[in-house]
Amino acid sequence: MESLEKSRARRAVAASLCLLLAAVGVVVFALNTGSIRLSPLNVLSTLLGNGTEEQELILFEYRLPRIIITALAGIGLGVAGAVLQGVSRNSLADPGILGLNAGAAFGLIVFVSFFRSMEGPTALLIPMFTFAGGVLTAIFIFLLSYDRNRGISPIRLILVGIAIEAGIGAVTLFLSLRLDEDIYSFASRWLAGSVWGREWIHVGSLFPWIALLAPFIYSQSKKLDVFALGDELAAGIGSRVTRNRIVLLASAVALSCASVAMAGGIGFIGLVAPHIARRLAGPQHRYFLPIAGIVGLLVLVTADTIGRSVFQPVAIPAGVVVALVGGPYFLYLLFKIKF
Amino acid sequence: MKLKKWLFLLAVVLLVGLLSACGEVTNSGTNSGGNAGSTEEAAPSPSLEPAKQDSNAKIASLSIHITNNLLALGMKPIGSVIGGDVKDFLPHVKDRLEGVAKYGVAADPDMEAVLASKPDVIYLDEVLTGDDVAKFEKIAPVVSIDMDEGTWRDHLRRIAEQVGKQAEAETFITGYEAKAEQTSALIHEELGAEAKVMAIRMTAKELRVMGMKRPVGPIMFEDLKLKPANGVEKITDEPYAVISQEVLPDFDADAIFVIISKGNEAKANFDELENNPVWQNLKAVKNNRVYVLDGQKWLDYSSIGHAMALEDAEKLFTR
Repeated sequence: MESLEKSRARRAVAASLCLLLAAVGVVVFALNTGSIRLSPLNVLSTLLGNGTEEQELILFEYRLPRIIITALAGIGLGVAGAVLQGVSRNSLADPGILGLNAGAAFGLIVFVSFFRSMEGPTALLIPMFTFAGGVLTAIFIFLLSYDRNRGISPIRLILVGIAIEAGIGAVTLFLSLRLDEDIYSFASRWLAGSVWGREWIHVGSLFPWIALLAPFIYSQSKKLDVFALGDELAAGIGSRVTRNRIVLLASAVALSCASVAMAGGIGFIGLVAPHIARRLAGPQHRYFLPIAGIVGLLVLVTADTIGRSVFQPVAIPAGVVVALVGGPYFLYLLFKIKF
Repeated sequence: MKLKKWLFLLAVVLLVGLLSACGEVTNSGTNSGGNAGSTEEAAPSPSLEPAKQDSNAKIASLSIHITNNLLALGMKPIGSVIGGDVKDFLPHVKDRLEGVAKYGVAADPDMEAVLASKPDVIYLDEVLTGDDVAKFEKIAPVVSIDMDEGTWRDHLRRIAEQVGKQAEAETFITGYEAKAEQTSALIHEELGAEAKVMAIRMTAKELRVMGMKRPVGPIMFEDLKLKPANGVEKITDEPYAVISQEVLPDFDADAIFVIISKGNEAKANFDELENNPVWQNLKAVKNNRVYVLDGQKWLDYSSIGHAMALEDAEKLFTR
C-alpha cells in the first residue's frame, strides 16, 4: 500500500514536472510567434528589460497579456472540468454540460442585441455580461436539480443541464439570426472560442479567480475523492455530500465562468484535460488536479498560438483549433486505453 | 468549520478583487474617455497644418472606407484593414492595393502587423476603433475621423486636408457630380422621368429593401435623383428593412435594382425568388426593368466606391 502510494506520488510529480517544462516551452514559443519575428534571445533580453521600445511594445502590450489570459483560462477550464467530473461522478461532464458556455454565449448575444449602445468601458462590459450569463444559467440549473431530501443528484444535474443548455441555445440562435453581418461575425468568432481578452485589465480581472479558486479546490481534493465512492457510502464515512457538492460546484462554476468570460466560448478543454491528467497521474484528485490545470494551459496556449500564426491574416479562433486537434487526440486516447 | 472559514475568506477576497476590478473599470473608463476627448481636441490641430504630413507619409488605415478615400486621392496606404465579410481587401479595389500590408478585420486588427509596417501616421475611424486610440498612439500619431458624421464628401475632404491633397479632392468631387448628372440623365431616359425605383438586397438569410440612408440611399435618391418607390421613403432609421417576398408588389416600383450578397446561398435565394409568381408578376419584372448591380461598389460608402457604382450604373444603362 505504502509503495503504491509512493509510486503514484512519484509518477504524479514526474508528470507534473514534464508538463510544466512543456508549458514553459509552449509559452516561450507563443511569445516568439506573431506578425513580427522576434528571436528567443530578443524575447529574453526584452523580458529582462533590455529590449528596444518596439520590442517592449510587442511583448508587453500585445503578446504577454493575451498569453497570460490564455494560460489562466486553460488552467481554469481544466480544473473546473476535473471538479465537475469528480462531483458528478460522470466522466463526460464538462463546463459545457452545466450550460455555462451556453449561458455565457447568451449573455454575449443579449449584450450585442440590446445593450450595444450602453455607456461604459467596452473592454469590461462583455466579460460582465458573459460572466453573468454563465452564473445565472448555473444557478438556474442548480435550483432545478435540487431535491430537498437528496440534495443535488449528479444524473439529475446533468440532464437538467442538457435541457437548459438546449433551451438557452435556441434563444441565443434566434437572437443571433437577427444580428446584422458585422456584429454577427464578431459574435460568431467569440462563440467559436477566439481568445478575446487582450489587455492587462483582463488579466487583472481573471487572475484573482484562478489564483484563489484553484488552490481552494486543490485543498478540497480529499472531498473530491470521496465522491467516487457514491453518495451513500460517502455519507456513511462522514462526508457531508450535499454541502460539499454545492461548494465545489459553485467554485467550478465561478472558475469556468471567469475563464470563459475572458477567453471566449472555449469548449472541450474541460472534458479532455481531466482525462489526460487521470491517465498520467491516476484517479486521486490531489495528484491529477494540478496536472489537469497544466494540461488545460498547455492545450489552450498551443491552440491559440497555432490559430493566430498559421492562418494569417485571418486568425482562427483557439476554440476551433482545440476541437480540431483535441478531438482526434481524445479518440486516440479512448482507443488506446480501454475503459 | 474549517470549510466555512475558507469560504468566508474566499468570498471576501473575491469581493475585494471584483471591487478593485470595478474600480479599475471606472478608472480606465475615465482614462479612455479622457483620451478620446484629448484626441478629439488633438485631431483638428494637425489638420490645421496639413503640410505636417506630406503626401509621401506612410499611412496605416484602420478603416476600409478611409483606405478607399485615400485611393480616390491617388494615395496608397502602407497597410490597411480588410473587409470583414470577404476576409480580404474589397474586390473592387483589390488590384489597387497590391503590396499593401493586411491588418486583419477592423473589429480585431492585428496590432503587430500595424507596428511591423512602420507607419508614420495612423488613420482610424472614431466609431470603429475610437476606444483604442491610446493603443495606436504608442505606434504612431493617430488621426481619428468620425466616419458616421457627414457624407463621404466630407470624409474625403477631411482626409485630403490631412495629406495636403485638397485640390485632388475637389477635382474628384466635381468629377463625381458631373458623372452623377450624366448617369442620372441616362437612367431617366431609359426609365422615364417619373419612374419610381427600389433597391433590394438578397442575402443568405433574408430579403432587404435598401432605405434612404447610406450606403445605397444617398447615391440612388440624391445623386442619381431617382424617385423612391412607395414605402422606401419611410425606411429612414436603418440602412435597410427586412421584408417578406409577398410585400414586394406593395412598393409598386417601376424598376428594381438588385444586390446579391456574395456566396452561393444568396444567389440560390435570388434564383428562387425569380421563379416565384409574386416576383414574376411585378411591374418592373414584366417590363424587364430589373438591374443586377455590382453590389460591393454600391455598398461601399466611400468616394471611390460611389464613383465605381456610377460606372456600374452607366454600364447597365448604356445600350
